[in-house]
Amino acid sequence: MSLSTETQNATGAAKSFGGMQARSDAALNSARIAISNLDFFYGDNRALKGINLDLPDRQVSGVIGPSGCGKSTLLRVLNRMYSLYPGQRATGEVMMDGENIIADSMDLNALRARIGMVFQKPTPFPMTIYENIAFGIRLHEKLSKSEMGERIEWALTRAAIWDEVKDRLDRSALSLSGGQQQRLCIARTIAVRPEVILFDEPTSALDPISTLKIEELIDELKRDFTIAIVTHNMQQAARCADQVAFFYLGELIEVAPAAQLFTAPKHPKTQEYITGRFG
Amino acid sequence: MAARLGQRRKWADRIMRALCISATVIGLVLLASILATLFYRGFEAMSLRVFTHITAPPGSEGGLLNAIVGSLIQSLLGTAIGTPIGMLVGTYLAEYAKNSWLGNAVRFVSDILLSAPSILIGLFVYQILVLPFGGFSGWAGVAALAIIVIPIVVRTTEDMLQLIPNTLREAVVGLGAPKWKMIILICWRSAIAGIITGVLLAVARVAGETAPLLFTSLGNNAWSTDLSKPIASLPVAIYSFAGSPFEDWIALAWAGALLITLGVLGLNILARTLLRSRI
Amino acid sequence: MASASLTAPKVAKRRASSLGDRIFAMLCQAAGILVLILLGALIVELFIAGLPAFRAFGIAFVTSTDWDPVRELFGAGVSIYGTIVTAILAIILAVPLAFGVAFFLTELAPPWMRRPVGTAVELLAAVPSIIYGMWGFFVIAPAFAQHVQPFIIDTVGELPVIGALFQGPPFGTGLFTAAFILAIMVLPFIAATMRDVFEQVPPVYKESAYGLGATTWEVMKGVVIPYTRVSVVGGIMLGLGRALGETMAVTFVIGNANRISTSLFGPGNTIASLVALEFGESEIGSLKLASLLALGFILFLLSFAVLATSRYLLRSRLKA
Repeated sequence: MSLSTETQNATGAAKSFGGMQARSDAALNSARIAISNLDFFYGDNRALKGINLDLPDRQVSGVIGPSGCGKSTLLRVLNRMYSLYPGQRATGEVMMDGENIIADSMDLNALRARIGMVFQKPTPFPMTIYENIAFGIRLHEKLSKSEMGERIEWALTRAAIWDEVKDRLDRSALSLSGGQQQRLCIARTIAVRPEVILFDEPTSALDPISTLKIEELIDELKRDFTIAIVTHNMQQAARCADQVAFFYLGELIEVAPAAQLFTAPKHPKTQEYITGRFG
Repeated sequence: MAARLGQRRKWADRIMRALCISATVIGLVLLASILATLFYRGFEAMSLRVFTHITAPPGSEGGLLNAIVGSLIQSLLGTAIGTPIGMLVGTYLAEYAKNSWLGNAVRFVSDILLSAPSILIGLFVYQILVLPFGGFSGWAGVAALAIIVIPIVVRTTEDMLQLIPNTLREAVVGLGAPKWKMIILICWRSAIAGIITGVLLAVARVAGETAPLLFTSLGNNAWSTDLSKPIASLPVAIYSFAGSPFEDWIALAWAGALLITLGVLGLNILARTLLRSRI
Repeated sequence: MASASLTAPKVAKRRASSLGDRIFAMLCQAAGILVLILLGALIVELFIAGLPAFRAFGIAFVTSTDWDPVRELFGAGVSIYGTIVTAILAIILAVPLAFGVAFFLTELAPPWMRRPVGTAVELLAAVPSIIYGMWGFFVIAPAFAQHVQPFIIDTVGELPVIGALFQGPPFGTGLFTAAFILAIMVLPFIAATMRDVFEQVPPVYKESAYGLGATTWEVMKGVVIPYTRVSVVGGIMLGLGRALGETMAVTFVIGNANRISTSLFGPGNTIASLVALEFGESEIGSLKLASLLALGFILFLLSFAVLATSRYLLRSRLKA
């Protein structure tokens, strides 16, 4: 922690805000992922500027900010999704288990198995519910039929959708409702047994009831997984997150335990944003 | 004054509408005329003999069995060879080389091949497969048809893959799948209806091709399914019978023309309904 | 029963799979390069095969109107003339019809009619060219010889200057009939392209013109056509490219004569029909065969130029 605060102060970009950032780490666990001096470029456009941020182990980090602030970009760095697209690159350090995630030598497929992602819109594959879950597992492990069945039941149970689909595992995943599809995608992600799960506005396409279910689920999942969630919805961040980071124009303005950030923001921009004056 | 101007504009509109409707009617009448002629002359000449006997000299009991079988063999083999190549090329264009110069060059060349005169493909195959290997052969015909199939499948494969949202690709990659598994297991699977449509259209196209077969598989009035020798095909048989002075040969040509048109239009309609039912 | 707690992930089991990725990417790229090689080889092979003819007759091969197998004198003049005349005449006949069909399908037809009529027009494109050839030979040519051509010869044929194009005996077959069949064959291609580009016009533009009180035709003329001009020309070029290389339909009705007649009703030749008809009677290694392959090379250059232009016009518009 102290190390990362130091580097924060050392970088030019963070300097102007550095003094304002007071992290109360009392309630936060040690870092599972430690980001330091992260810059990100879409071609020549610098979308993230000198980010320093820790994601506490088995807790939920909420990332908020107005559209285009770089919050989704941050998630796309963590699982190297940006590597799919030529012209996008990241510099700096993103450390997990002593490895720099954004190093060229990183095995991306193995990395993505350890850092799963749930997307804004549900992304069921055009196959059965069973096959949707089995797809991810088969990529990384060879399981017997009974082991596979157990694993699928476990994943669907953890994603709180088992009771709804257990009788129709051989039906197309596309036949599920939007909220069910999203929980299926969560099940698919956890079936691979990642260590970290990234949620990119997972409820923005869902109705309020499905949203509530997903939020409860996230709260439940953090017992085992380190979670980062990007959200437009400040109430959602307040409900789910242990730590909240506020991004603005590609910079990390402020990061603090949720209660603190929403009740006593240190930075005037944060104040403005959470009171709804822009964004 | 204004009223008269309005009248003139109204009349211009009416006249143009009438002309356009007439144009459409003319187009439909032409199609109807072709089909009517085909059905009338074709059914008149149609008999079981067409399917049970092979081509014979004028005046004797002949059919088209060898031509039908030869056409089936060459069209299906040509499609079977051209389809995987076309799919790979289409995949290359959509998934690997979207904007690279090589990709643009391949896309351009494939588009040219798509519309290039098929007679030239026949001449080309004559040069590379008939001349050096000592004579006309079924394989040369198959090769010519395969070259015609490739650009058709390239186009549909690329178009269909482009319809797949990037979020689906990211969801697959996010599970830790390597790109090739993403493409084969998810992208191809999502695009399969469209690709099958393209393949059916390709079969329909090559089944009616005459010019490229004139210089490759040549035609054969005897029974032969040996692809290393000249082999009969329906279009070539129709061509040589229709141009002959013998009534019974001309009648057989009509029967063959009806068969081929029914097959081609049937495949087209099947392809269309298939695509529509899946979208 | 699956437990609710999580066992530690087995990191060891993950295996690198970049090899599969590399192999598959290479396969795809190789297939792409194969397509490049195919077209490259097609050009080179046709040129090499035609080289003896180019050597024997030089550049005059392109303009010479000889085609004399006995004296071994060959020239491409007549068939190039026939190819270009039939193709352009076909486009002149087909474009107004295609425009009418496309206009009807996008603006005039009631919605329930669009799909069946559109499909019917597209099916016209799927009919194999040999069927058009037979239909032209057995139905159109006799009708032309008995009714259409005598009528035109007696009327338009009497006019000064332009009349010269429509004189001579009504054979039924000939350049005009070939162009007519070609027009029907390319009609669906041009109509389908036009319909597709007309449909791309953002409704806002059309609505704003209707909002000013414009009639349907005025919207077409003032908004849709200007907006889609480039692609429409591209579609027409695509049709032209098809017409240039069409073989079987033309072979049946062109009349197959190696002379340039002033009348469009006279018989003639196109590159494709000449190659199709004479190929079987050419010996391997003969100058005639080389001349036919040289003709193929010229046809390739012609259609390549037209198709490349068409593609440029169609694609550049789509990107914008």
